[in-house]
Amino acid sequence: MEYTLSTVGSYPRPEWFSDYLKKQEGLQKGSRVGIDDSYMRALAEVLGEQKKSGIRLLTDGQLLWQNMLCHLCDSLDGFRLSGLIRYFDNNMYYQMPEAVGRVERGNPIILDEYRAACSVEKNIKPVLSCYSLVDLSQNRFYGDEKEFLMDVAEVMNQEAKALAGAGASIIQVDEPSLLFADKEGVEAAGEALEVLTKGVNASFILATYFRDAKGLYPEILDYPIDVLGLDFVEGLKENLKLIKEHPTEKIIQAGVVDGRTTLMEKPSEVKEVIDSITELVSGEKLFLSPNTGLEYLPYVKASEKMGVLSASVD
Amino acid sequence: MNDKILPTTVVGSYPKPRWLNHLIREHSDSSLSDEVMESAYSDSIKAVVKDHELAGVDILWDGEMRREEMTSYFAEHINGFSIYGEVRVWGNNYYRKPSIVDELSYRDELTVSEYRNLRGLTEHDIKVPITGPYTIVDWSFNEHYRTKEDAVYALAEVINQELKALVAAGASFIQIDDPAIPTHVDELEIARNSVEIATKGVKAYTGLHICYGDYSKLYPQVLDFSVDQLDFELANKSFQDISIFREHDFTKDIGFGCVDVHTRRIESVDEIKGNIKKAFEIVEPKRVYVDPDCGLKLLSSQVSFQKLSNMCAAARELRGEL
Repeated sequence: MEYTLSTVGSYPRPEWFSDYLKKQEGLQKGSRVGIDDSYMRALAEVLGEQKKSGIRLLTDGQLLWQNMLCHLCDSLDGFRLSGLIRYFDNNMYYQMPEAVGRVERGNPIILDEYRAACSVEKNIKPVLSCYSLVDLSQNRFYGDEKEFLMDVAEVMNQEAKALAGAGASIIQVDEPSLLFADKEGVEAAGEALEVLTKGVNASFILATYFRDAKGLYPEILDYPIDVLGLDFVEGLKENLKLIKEHPTEKIIQAGVVDGRTTLMEKPSEVKEVIDSITELVSGEKLFLSPNTGLEYLPYVKASEKMGVLSASVD
Repeated sequence: MNDKILPTTVVGSYPKPRWLNHLIREHSDSSLSDEVMESAYSDSIKAVVKDHELAGVDILWDGEMRREEMTSYFAEHINGFSIYGEVRVWGNNYYRKPSIVDELSYRDELTVSEYRNLRGLTEHDIKVPITGPYTIVDWSFNEHYRTKEDAVYALAEVINQELKALVAAGASFIQIDDPAIPTHVDELEIARNSVEIATKGVKAYTGLHICYGDYSKLYPQVLDFSVDQLDFELANKSFQDISIFREHDFTKDIGFGCVDVHTRRIESVDEIKGNIKKAFEIVEPKRVYVDPDCGLKLLSSQVSFQKLSNMCAAARELRGEL
């Protein structure tokens, strides 16, 4: 069986490129370095690393993202950035976005980066976020959170249309916050996804990570998405139980190697996990990936981790 | 440990002189020899000590001129760690994140030579800060131990040897820096045990510095940690945490962060006096150590010096009034 292997999104920057950005932007990321020759060289490097490891559905590694939120807010009207906040249980921090006006898409968000990646490689998967962006931001403008969420969903819909127009056939929406949401949040996220995906000529992946998806079932089955991204590292048992109890025609993007540790799994161990999933999901309905983005790892360890993934399906 | 009431001290780091940063860059580009770099570090420490003495600090440290961060600096001198490269913390800030790849054991002195060097430069009391085992493990990858807990305890044994070596060299005040503790309050028990292992049989006055985080989640449990002093960041949060510490009898000495290191604004002597007095709502004056919230390295030398000077003047005036 040949599975579709993918990365989740982020990839560590080559050290020469992070040095370059430090020099250009300072430590606090000042003026935004856009797509220049150095970026293109770094992009080609991380795409090459993914291809070499047998990854078929590639990401641009989010090399210009200062974190999972602020890069998306940067291009949007209505946000400003404030103090540092810890990103889930990682030793990684983001500047908390604050909505201080109506959120609007004055400019494209990641469209140029998507196009740049497409100029180097095929099968690029662009990554957006909606519910998590709202959840981890502070609302200082909207009367209620729902209105804030729907406006963000609207701008992400505009972006998704632009991405699809530029050739993206599959778009990923990263929503780790959803795993920590209450029922009301889970419902609201569903409505936001309706808005986000409406009229977009592409397939959608909903990526979740950092824990199991217990709180999302069964609502997640009705979400207007084609691929469910689940974390089988942090939530192995529970997620197996969930996909057993709730069979679905949707594709599962299974995170089966740990993107947050330099400990390399034995391919045989990973194969066991994959086998336990394929007992419940047919191989054509399965994408395999690390459970999270890879930027938690030193550069040299990211390709090694992808190597474990591909060795486990050899 | 100090005879003086309201002794003033620092948490650890101090801004590196600009010329030192220049030289560090040149050294990393291999255009400066190790010998010259060594003497630059040594000279910069003399400058820091002089700054601290002029400001009136009672208990000194060397400003951590040799340290860029607080994890790999120690990890690379301990058997069992390996460092593969940098990992991002935020924006364009990275650190060399160590991986535990084998059993951890003591190899080199970690801080003893720094202590000895400083001992030769000043008559003042000295405080030696060292990152706690809990924080080092939390900020590392674990490839070897079955659980994080096992790794923390193994490292605590290593740190314990270092603390004993420090005492043998003459150190009388050691501060364990554990900023990772408030980020996992569910592991408070592991952190507590790690401090107990690290300080076992260590015949010195010990402190625990905890910054960031929500102190209400740690207090009063943190009173059970086996140290003499708890050092907290208070100015940055406008002293709101005082009410948390008042809910239970504060049974240790307090390192009272009374100057905000996150703002360039220089607090006046009167303002700092008012800040220090807030400590007396928690403990008697004789249990109060006066210091900034945290290390000063992110501020400029001038601002840091002025903040320390005003802090020491405030403590001096209060001593006269008490």
